[in-house]
Amino acid sequence: MTLILRAPTTHEDRTFPHLVTSVPAARAVNAVKLYGNAETSVRALDGVNVDFAPGCFTAIMGPSGSGKSTLLHCLAGLDDLTSGSISIGDTILGTLRERQLTRLRRDRIGFIFQAFNLLPTLTAAENITLPLALAGRRPDPDWFDTVVDVVGLRDRLHHRPAELSGGQQQRVAAARALVSRPEIILADEPTGNLDSKAGGELLAFMRRAVDGFGQTIVMVTHDPVAASYADRIVFLADGQVVDEMFEPTAERAIDHMKQLGG
Amino acid sequence: MTRLLRGALAQGVRLFGTALAVALAVTLVSGTFILTDTIDSAFHQASADTGGSSDVVIRSTALFAAQANSLPEREPVPESLVAKIAAIPGVKAAWAAVQGYAELVDKQGQAIAAKGLPTVGSAVTPDVTLTAGRAPGPGEVAIDVETARRAGLVLGDKIKVLFSGSTQEFTIGGLLDAAGDVVASTKAIFDQVTAQRVLGVEGQVDAIPVEAEAGVSPDALRSRINAVLPDQYEAVTTAQVAQESAESWTQAVAFLPTALLLFAAVALLVGAFIICNTFSILVAQRARELALLRSLGASRAQLTASVLCEAVAVGLVGSVAGVLAGFGAARGLLALFGRMGFELPAASAVFLPRTAVVGVVAGVAVTVLAALAPARRATLISPVGALRGADGGRATSTSRRLALGSAAGLAGLATLLTGVLSGGDKPLVAVGLGAVGILVGLAALTPLVATPAAHFLGAPLVRLFGEPAFLGRENAMRSPRRTASTAAALMIGIGLVGVVAILAASVKASASRTVDDSLRADFVLTPAGLGGAVSGVPPVVIDRVRESPAVATVSEIRGGQWGLDGRNQTLLAVDPATVTAMHEIDDGSAAAVRRLDDKGVLVRDTVAERYGWRIGDPVPMTFAKTGTRKMLLQGTFSTTAVRTDYVITLGAYRANFAQQFSLEVDVALAPGVTAVQGRAEIERALADYPVVKVMDHSQVVAAQEEKVNRLLVPVTALLALSVIIALLGIANTLALSIHERTREVGLLRALGMARRQLRSMIRSEAAIIGGLGAMLGTVVALFFGWALVASMRHLGVTELVFPVAQLAGLAALATVAGMLAGILPARKAASLAVLQAISTDR
Ligand SMILES: Nc1ncnc2c1ncn2[C@@H]1O[C@H](COP(=O)(O)OP(=O)(O)OP(=O)(O)O)[C@@H](O)[C@H]1O
Ligand SMILES: [Mg+2]
Repeated sequence: MTLILRAPTTHEDRTFPHLVTSVPAARAVNAVKLYGNAETSVRALDGVNVDFAPGCFTAIMGPSGSGKSTLLHCLAGLDDLTSGSISIGDTILGTLRERQLTRLRRDRIGFIFQAFNLLPTLTAAENITLPLALAGRRPDPDWFDTVVDVVGLRDRLHHRPAELSGGQQQRVAAARALVSRPEIILADEPTGNLDSKAGGELLAFMRRAVDGFGQTIVMVTHDPVAASYADRIVFLADGQVVDEMFEPTAERAIDHMKQLGG
Repeated sequence: MTRLLRGALAQGVRLFGTALAVALAVTLVSGTFILTDTIDSAFHQASADTGGSSDVVIRSTALFAAQANSLPEREPVPESLVAKIAAIPGVKAAWAAVQGYAELVDKQGQAIAAKGLPTVGSAVTPDVTLTAGRAPGPGEVAIDVETARRAGLVLGDKIKVLFSGSTQEFTIGGLLDAAGDVVASTKAIFDQVTAQRVLGVEGQVDAIPVEAEAGVSPDALRSRINAVLPDQYEAVTTAQVAQESAESWTQAVAFLPTALLLFAAVALLVGAFIICNTFSILVAQRARELALLRSLGASRAQLTASVLCEAVAVGLVGSVAGVLAGFGAARGLLALFGRMGFELPAASAVFLPRTAVVGVVAGVAVTVLAALAPARRATLISPVGALRGADGGRATSTSRRLALGSAAGLAGLATLLTGVLSGGDKPLVAVGLGAVGILVGLAALTPLVATPAAHFLGAPLVRLFGEPAFLGRENAMRSPRRTASTAAALMIGIGLVGVVAILAASVKASASRTVDDSLRADFVLTPAGLGGAVSGVPPVVIDRVRESPAVATVSEIRGGQWGLDGRNQTLLAVDPATVTAMHEIDDGSAAAVRRLDDKGVLVRDTVAERYGWRIGDPVPMTFAKTGTRKMLLQGTFSTTAVRTDYVITLGAYRANFAQQFSLEVDVALAPGVTAVQGRAEIERALADYPVVKVMDHSQVVAAQEEKVNRLLVPVTALLALSVIIALLGIANTLALSIHERTREVGLLRALGMARRQLRSMIRSEAAIIGGLGAMLGTVVALFFGWALVASMRHLGVTELVFPVAQLAGLAALATVAGMLAGILPARKAASLAVLQAISTDR
């Protein structure tokens, strides 16, 4: 795991960790992703170059169809590029075999989907420790307790997903992403299905994970308010990085999106 | 409606497993019919051929005909009658037919037994067709080419022939066409005088075949001859003789279709579980779609119809495939029975329209019936409910299930126990009916225990394989009904295989116990090979043994068929003076045997009671040779060591039966003769008679066990079909479940589950279902095994043995097989593309 050299910060008082350390937590270089065959081909990613600094909370915004999910999937090793390269830490994903990719996902990446993050047969606690269990590891009990307390799920640990609200389910997913201490958490519209209160809670939690534990997070969102929780926003349009913004506020994000025509 | 059906068609591939289950079960139905029709036609064909060129046959009248007998059983006809018949106008030719036991012995001194049937020796007739040589003269024999080829015999060879009263050597003078015998047994033909002498019917013939002059119909000739025949003789058309013969053989194998259809019924029952399960899953998966249709105005009836149409389609496809596969099955069954020792006549397969009709109707009916409950459930989906929630219409209440299951189970249990405990006349029927009730009850109740049982069974897997097994177990527990009904199908198959294993072990142990407890003879002589089993040990052999100085006592036991109120019965004939010294039976039965004389009969106590016969009453026994005799009931017996309900004396047997072969000859050695000396002496006496086997106690036991084993193989093989269908069910359920859980598979893979782990997860679920089926099946087997053995006490099954290692092996095998059934679905799941799986809309 990358060494975090940064003291915890608050939302108001930010430093820019990507400027502090040199090796990015994740990096895309000339990432191109084509879908479909020659005639009907779609350029989902059209030469994306982007670094995600460790300990930094990055939001990705862009119009629908701009390639946000595709980028995230490629970062997670769920999909492969047509050309270019993606690396997590100093591992270049293109060189990995299927089995190594699976292990990478399990051990070094946490993923939060927009919905359907949990196995219905498992309790919240079991869902949280699932990647660790798959690796045959036991969770560090202190860390587990910390994570559970941070997400506020202590009294829901033995409930199954069907007995949890949508917000609680997403928090379980977030806890799962965090509990294995991955190098990077990738989240695709994690608040997309939540109302503003539940969404706010989840985002606050993610913020705390970054500030408190130096977690690296990349989050795709359509919501400028959600994006304002991040340290940095990367704007995507037509499969390319068109801009970025540091220390975003909701208003600035809205303005920017308007410019992009999203 | 077509729109509804289109939804159904989309499921086509998923219904493949179901159609296969139907097809397998129907295969057995169709195979049974093809087999029996083929046998039937072969018997008729062969019987018709036997008649040769004759149109009418004159023979002694008989009120009774034994089944499947190729040796004469009627009183012979005086030879002088032949000339008188020949003189009747309209008769072109009449000749003597003489038949009897004539076993050929090959150069190595071994009996040439063909197809497990006795060799038939007969007198040459004008219509015999020779393929080589000439019609036999004195000292000559003509044998069939097929036998000659097999034994490596050629014209001019010397051959020893064993008759019931002597052995003699002949020169092969001619070869016969092999065709044209009901059972294609070995044939030996002699000139008429020789035949009469060696077959022991000097001055007599068994029948007089008659050829009609041109223009005289067989029927007319028959009437004409009957008009002048004395009462004790009759003229019948050759066609009728052929018909009778074919019927007698068909009746002898009549148990076959019944037994096979029973196995087919079990297979269909197991299939029904699979079908019901599949449709339940499909309906549940389509809950949303069905609810949408409901809210768009589709009526309940329309939804039910759409599901049932699907069932009809699956049933049709499966049944048609099954009917066609029946051809292969018929051939396989033929081979299977060949292994058991029933060589059935081979002929080209006969396919009657009835086979197709019954196969398809049975297949479709079972499919539709099994889909009825799921179809009804489809209509219970509330339009809003299913659209909103995950599981629509899943609310078959636990309490109703509990009530229904318990009711069926308890009713079955009560019936079964009545059967076992009452010791009534037909306990097997009660046990069978009870068993069905219990099985249905258990199947209904299984979902209630499926969750804890899966938890328990999965524990070792979880310990061994970790998280993947844990997840597999959670999946097995999440829909207990699905897991349970899949396992219940396996339960039936494994349960029955287990029952058969228990029964076989118990029968063997009982046989061994009987030998230990009651066999007092030093040696037992039985017919060697299967050929003799139809005829027996010829009298000449017994005389040789009796003459040996090492032998003190020889006691023969003969068996025969007779008629009571037109129904075939069996009897044993014993020597009352010696048999009780050879077989120790209970005092009452033994005393009855010792009192028996040639005018009397002993009847099993329960049978005498049923007919209301008392000591001294006449029992009307109809014999083929002598007609109806009033035998006096001289006593009753209860011992199960005697495997028949009627016992007469050897004297009475001699008077009423044409053939005098023994089923069993018990030998007691003279004092001071050791077993080794005794055996050597007896074998020396038998040197010329390869048709007899000398057995000591352990060999008797081994022979009984061998007999049980010979039955065990095909029965288990037939039940294995049901097990295979059940395993197919596991694969099917898992495939459907995985389809339903595509997104979960995607999620797991995204979270870092390796393909290997995913496969392990699904195989674990399969193993748990298999283990549950095996566990329930074993419980069922133990209980039913006990019940069956207890209710077969009157048939001589006195010992209850649980072959523990075998049952444990069976359960383990079923669990492993269950796991193997998960391999294909597991592979399918592992091949899913992660992203696609996770973004699927299901
Ligand atoms: N499996 C696929 N096959 C073909 N085209 C695809 C596939 N997945 C994505 N695309 C296309 O690639 C482009 C980028 O899709 P992507 O899902 O990354 O967009 P997005 O930015 O996440 O959009 P949204 O905000 O709507 O989620 C779109 O034009 C989409 O239609
Ligand atoms: Mg997207």
